[in-house]
Amino acid sequence: MTEGDEQTLIINMGPQHPSTHGVLRVVLVLDGEYIVSATPVIGYLHRMHEKMAENRTCLQYMPNMGRVDYLNPLGWNWAYVGALERLAGIEVPERAEFIRVITGELNRISSHLVWFGAYILDLGAFTPIMYAFEDREKILDLLQPISGSRLTYSFFRPGGVATDVTDSFLKDTLVFVKYMRDRLPMYRDLVTDNIIFRKRCEGVGVLSLEMCQRYGATGPVIRGSNRPYDIRKAEPYSIYDRFDYQIPVDEKGDAMGRYRVRMAEMAESLNIIEQAVNRIPEGDHIVKKAPKPRWKAPKGEVYFAVEGARGKIGVYLISDGDKHPYRVKLRSPGFSNLSAFGELAKGHLLQDAVSILGSLDLVIPEIDR
Amino acid sequence: MTPEWMDGLKTLCKCRHTFKKTGVTWGLFLSPDTLVDAARRLFQSGFFLEDISALDSANGFVAVYHLSAYSGVDRVALHVIVPHDDPQIPSISAVYSGALWHEREAMDFFGIQFTSHPDPKPLLLPEDMTEHPLIKEDKDRVLLKDLLDPGEIVERDPDFLFFEESNSLTEESKSEGQ
Repeated sequence: MTEGDEQTLIINMGPQHPSTHGVLRVVLVLDGEYIVSATPVIGYLHRMHEKMAENRTCLQYMPNMGRVDYLNPLGWNWAYVGALERLAGIEVPERAEFIRVITGELNRISSHLVWFGAYILDLGAFTPIMYAFEDREKILDLLQPISGSRLTYSFFRPGGVATDVTDSFLKDTLVFVKYMRDRLPMYRDLVTDNIIFRKRCEGVGVLSLEMCQRYGATGPVIRGSNRPYDIRKAEPYSIYDRFDYQIPVDEKGDAMGRYRVRMAEMAESLNIIEQAVNRIPEGDHIVKKAPKPRWKAPKGEVYFAVEGARGKIGVYLISDGDKHPYRVKLRSPGFSNLSAFGELAKGHLLQDAVSILGSLDLVIPEIDR
Repeated sequence: MTPEWMDGLKTLCKCRHTFKKTGVTWGLFLSPDTLVDAARRLFQSGFFLEDISALDSANGFVAVYHLSAYSGVDRVALHVIVPHDDPQIPSISAVYSGALWHEREAMDFFGIQFTSHPDPKPLLLPEDMTEHPLIKEDKDRVLLKDLLDPGEIVERDPDFLFFEESNSLTEESKSEGQ
């Protein structure tokens, strides 16, 4: 049976389908219940962030980063300031690096919690998202006083972070770490071991390593296919080499594998946060001569990558020595991960399309930019 | 020492970079017809395609391919320079399936044509849109040598003059200025 055959049925999933999380459209060609071909159609949330970079100054572009991926803004903050710092050779104070690690990992957990709740919701279970949002709320309450926002943070600055953290923030963070460690086993009992959930995910959407390489899949998606590729270890940046943590992998490569990797990652992030809070030194939170809004970046090209919640976030920046960047390219992990979907969904049941899409952890504004 | 995959690869210019400074270990300038060969070699050496971006310079459009190895710090940037009036580059989607979308994005933003792309329709922009938003006006275009730092040039084709102090294009613009 091929596409265009009289026996096939074309279904438009989206752009307003609840399991596409934003406005993604997937054109599905079905033979009965089986998917003959799946073609994602993107661009509904395209805002041309790369053009916006060219008509504002390097620092004015900061707030855009929170809007590229609203669930993991600090990952994007980090990639962008990292590119500017690498280009201009700015050294970041020790304390600022610790603050970045603590807030960045908190943000990774809050992003995974939204994915967790929404994924289970896609598969038909309503309760877990209520628990996940309760936990996420605690992270937002921690980050709000120091960053000034609850969702689209623009907290990092070239040379440090916008504000210093207080002792009460550090104390509350440790309380949260302890609280969250008690919650994760509950999630396992509630969801991970649930037989209905497992039947929807196990053996579904098996992604081979060869396919990961062809499509450039990164993050929990490639780690779910048993390759411990994590930018925090592979291209060490900031002070991640000083902490003791594992890179969770899963050998199955199916939707369940990607699920297990993200769940294990939350526990690892808690380990990193705990070590960082206990070891944070006194000092400045930003360098004395930090770039001002009209600062001119030096000439040259630079690439900086970080491990975001969804995978490898890359910022490629070219400056001609002016206040405005000459060109900024944003490499979003979801873009590459989603591009593999068409090949991944072929031959599966229609219901599996939902569990594969969810296992890729898509945030459409980040894919469309 | 050049890496093994580079042996026998025809390049216009081979540049070694310091990763700490630019985030790239090798920058290669290729002519369009050797691009697919380079991509194939990199694929076989275990590199994956991170992104394809382009930029608009006074010397033409430059398509930049970033590829990264899974093990350790190793990023290769392939540059292909094509003229503004006939921007044609072969598609590498037969090697890297992920390039299908990256190339469509570059078509949207710059109007670069990727020959032999199986499905060259707009990805992010509307299908009836004719403008390419990242193309710069002539007066805003900057010469490549003022944009990119070639790093340490290991090998250079004698005709590849974009990083020379006096290349034909700068001579022209100088004489225009007088």
